[in-house]
Amino acid sequence: MTSTAPAPAPSFDPRVLKAPHPVPGAPNNWRRFLSFNTDAKVIGLQYMITSLFFLLVGGLLSMIMRGELITPAADLVDPTVYNGLYTMHGTVMLFLFLFPILNGFNNLLIPPMIGAPDMAFPRLNAAAFWMVPVFGVILMASFLVPGGPSGAGWWAYPPQSIQNPLGHFLNGQFLWILAVALSGISSIMGAVNFITTIIRMRAPGMGWFRMPIFCWTAVAAQAIQLIGLPVLTAGAVLLLFDLSFGTSFYRPEGGGDPMLYQHFFWFYSHPAVYVMVLPVFGIFSELFPVYARKPLFGYHVVAIASFAITFLSLIVWVHHMFYSGTPQWMRNLFMVTTMLIAVPTGIKVFAWIGTLWGGKLRLTTAMLFCLGGVFNFIFAGITGIMLATVPVDIHVGNTYFVVGHFHTVIFSTITYGVFAGIYHWFPKFTGRMMYEGLGKLHFVLTFIGSQLTFLPMHAAGLLGMPRRVASYDPEFAFANVLASLGAFLLGVATIPFLLNLVSSWVRGEKAPPNPWHAIGLEWLLPSPPPAENFEDDVPTVISGPYGYGLGRPLVEDEQRYVAKAASAASAATGGA
Amino acid sequence: MTATTPTPADLPAQPAAHGHGHGDHTLTGFVIFLLSESVIFLALFAGYAIYKTSSPLWLPPGVEGLEVAMPLRFTVVLVSSSGVIYLAERALHRGRLGEFRAWWLLTMAMGTVFLVGQGLEWAGLPFGLGDGVYGASFYLLTGFHGLHVLTGVLLMGLMLARSFRPGNYDAGSVGVTAVSLFWHFVDVIWVVLFVLIYVWQR
Amino acid sequence: MTTASPSPGRSPRLWGVLLVLLAVLADLAASFWMAAASHHWLPVPASAAAAPVDNLFALEVGIGSFIFFGCSGVMLWTLLFNRAPKYDLDNGDPIEGNLKLEIVWTLIPLVIVMLIAWKAIDVSTTLSTLGGKVRVTGGHGAMHGAEGPAAALEAADDPAAAEPIEVIGRQWSWEFIYPNGVHSSELHLPEGQRSYLRLSATDVIHGFFVPAFRLKQDLIPGSVIDYSLIPTRAGRYRLRDSMFSGGYFSSNQTDVVVEPPEQYAAWLEQALAQPLRPAANAATDLYAQRLARGDRGWATVPPAPPPLVHVSADPAASHEG
Repeated sequence: MTSTAPAPAPSFDPRVLKAPHPVPGAPNNWRRFLSFNTDAKVIGLQYMITSLFFLLVGGLLSMIMRGELITPAADLVDPTVYNGLYTMHGTVMLFLFLFPILNGFNNLLIPPMIGAPDMAFPRLNAAAFWMVPVFGVILMASFLVPGGPSGAGWWAYPPQSIQNPLGHFLNGQFLWILAVALSGISSIMGAVNFITTIIRMRAPGMGWFRMPIFCWTAVAAQAIQLIGLPVLTAGAVLLLFDLSFGTSFYRPEGGGDPMLYQHFFWFYSHPAVYVMVLPVFGIFSELFPVYARKPLFGYHVVAIASFAITFLSLIVWVHHMFYSGTPQWMRNLFMVTTMLIAVPTGIKVFAWIGTLWGGKLRLTTAMLFCLGGVFNFIFAGITGIMLATVPVDIHVGNTYFVVGHFHTVIFSTITYGVFAGIYHWFPKFTGRMMYEGLGKLHFVLTFIGSQLTFLPMHAAGLLGMPRRVASYDPEFAFANVLASLGAFLLGVATIPFLLNLVSSWVRGEKAPPNPWHAIGLEWLLPSPPPAENFEDDVPTVISGPYGYGLGRPLVEDEQRYVAKAASAASAATGGA
Repeated sequence: MTATTPTPADLPAQPAAHGHGHGDHTLTGFVIFLLSESVIFLALFAGYAIYKTSSPLWLPPGVEGLEVAMPLRFTVVLVSSSGVIYLAERALHRGRLGEFRAWWLLTMAMGTVFLVGQGLEWAGLPFGLGDGVYGASFYLLTGFHGLHVLTGVLLMGLMLARSFRPGNYDAGSVGVTAVSLFWHFVDVIWVVLFVLIYVWQR
Repeated sequence: MTTASPSPGRSPRLWGVLLVLLAVLADLAASFWMAAASHHWLPVPASAAAAPVDNLFALEVGIGSFIFFGCSGVMLWTLLFNRAPKYDLDNGDPIEGNLKLEIVWTLIPLVIVMLIAWKAIDVSTTLSTLGGKVRVTGGHGAMHGAEGPAAALEAADDPAAAEPIEVIGRQWSWEFIYPNGVHSSELHLPEGQRSYLRLSATDVIHGFFVPAFRLKQDLIPGSVIDYSLIPTRAGRYRLRDSMFSGGYFSSNQTDVVVEPPEQYAAWLEQALAQPLRPAANAATDLYAQRLARGDRGWATVPPAPPPLVHVSADPAASHEG
């Protein structure tokens, strides 16, 4: 295989990584998921399974919350219990469901998409994963300590979060900070790994502008982790000292300032939403071309817009503090920066719609979730602009309008994208097809459920219902009944999903290497791919991604790779 | 030694165990990590500056400020150790293992002197961690930095021990380069910290 | 979309243009309708801030609806007319982009959001509700802040201004102290005048939120924040704690009573004649019930003792918004 085209980025020599498998003799059955396995694909599935478990935990918490909120009075659970439930719901969903599941996608997708055999640091990768169950257990353990888990919200604003009513050293808030800190360390380890992998281990010929958008968004998102998380860590360390060692960083009595925490917290936690949404933008950008049978509209601009979002996301945090006594000039400044984010995100949305236009749409479950996700995201983007507008935010800020907006982003966009990604890549990484019928049922229930849950929240918020309440005035009852019914429907919607996942994995139809006729390096591999992907036969990339209908091969000698994957598949079938 | 991408020719000679062949990635990853780590300090520095300029209660009652002369001496020790660790690296480059170990050990000693100096200063101060936002910031910043110095010294000890393993540097000396980078980083952070805490007192 | 050619029938271009025109008109009509409807989604307007905020919101609803219906309409179109038949494995038109279109859809959103931002700055400037903020030490800042910089700031704001009403937030009660010394746990304000408030919190952060006023401002322990607003409609409205404040956060609400100035003055007089007594307080009652049931539930600090007031809020009174 002689390289004829000048390779723009011969960034790595595959033979460097031809080292033996880091853990020789690792089990090759389900037990590998319980071991310190350093194979990115095993780690990716470990992330996926763990985070889907915590999706159920977080979902269960939200069911209890919606049960409480179905009537105006706090009658199902005590208000203090409600506070703990909503705190844990938010924390579990963010730190134990969304971050880990997106890291699962990173692990599964990045190496095959760029033609690398594994991550740059396989052992670091495994260590980063195994911290997830550790801090998951720590967080769950806080249900058992005296006084219950943290009841300060996932913002944990001081001085409320450092009040420590029982005075014990080991309290729910302490465990909460510990868990969040460990999650931060795990995320930093992951971020170093993903970025190094993408910078240094791309296949020959894969220059930056031949890279799939998912990899672009991964770099953009992980860069936020590297810049933002340390700031949250600093804020959390000060919080821990105030809580446990009697310092006064956030206590006004000792000259401290509770507002500093808000700056530290939001400097990371606003961009954190982009850490989650960027990879989902990546998933949308991968899937629309496949199921619309068209190249991604405006690939270059979409790629660069990811970094525009990264940059802007780091200079908008004060929009969470418009009513905290922030001076007018600062509010105006941060309103303008926040609104600017609409431009790169708008570019992406229009690019997806441009991709659909004149395509040949195939409405698979994955495509339905993409379409639904983008539809919801346009709505969330518009309410986002409203929230960025200072005078409007002063009315709707800290009300259910924000809860509705946030969940339309976090659930109806990001989680839809996660579902789409699962339906799309499940065959690739398990070697089995999922059942389309159950998938479509899952989509329909989820779509109805999410509108029913989150739309009424906007209405309640506009009328002035504060967020985080365990009880409310009777005028908000109707909206809350609808939202509760919707939430229960979402709970029901997970049943066909889980059924589908388990039964497909156990006895689903065997997946061919490229069931969706997609273009991309990962689809040139057998399903599931071998431990080191292309091993020492890494293809040379000769064109950009998404060449649907352009009749150009993606890699040199493409037919040979297709044939190789097909024969590996038939060999596997014969053997089994 | 900076990142030298192994040419295909010397690949077969590489010992495959322990992932030493990933040298080029290791340094990239380590630099990315250090950039991220520096943001923690940046955040803490910003917090300190905000407290110092805005807090209605700053120095605890009876505290005039910090003495500068002694800390300055220890600062000189720490900062000059950056030069010493460079000498150690250069010696290793030239294959003089004994000289490397001597300079390396001297760097460790200078780091330890700095830590002892800081411990002595802490012991003699009239305020504690609980004394307002000033006491809290002072101990947190110097303590967090001190933790980094300690980590640096321990890592150096590890590298020193490894240097006695035969054939340790056949695959390159990325570990030494990384630790040395870390040490420079710790020194630069201290210089900023010193200016913030000791020089900017009025 | 200039490449639109829905069907290869007679003069497809003309039909295409007509169709697009019709769609844009329908979108415009729907957006205007949404903007007009948006006024009904909000509580009664009871302060000078309500009209400008509601209009700004309506503008955003209108623009947002146009974009939302436009984008989802195009998506629906592709769903209906660009579906691949079941066994059709063909590709769509291999269009990789269109520079002109990409520039247009970068610039138009930019112009729109900057327009909204400019309108918003205009509204904020005319409202100018937020006064100065002064850091004080100690949990209860109000006592320290009465003289000194806060007073100076207020004097600069409006020399003719009366002394402010102290608003104190606690876990979980509200206390209002009027310049003539009246203490109350419901807030009385004169209609049609700018009222000056001085916000402080004794324990944790609270939020002063009156939906009917469209206004919200946090109370921050260790700070004294000057705030002002103009109630414009007599009535009884809800004041809610909008910043999560722990255990019985959701019970931390009271009423704002806006009344004509003469009535307000009379109320102040009458109130002063009343004896001071502990205010009725929902959190205290709930906490007592909890203790009676064996203190089950998760940890919470006990509620602060209810403030001693001349006039207590009436939990049975009905509010308008």
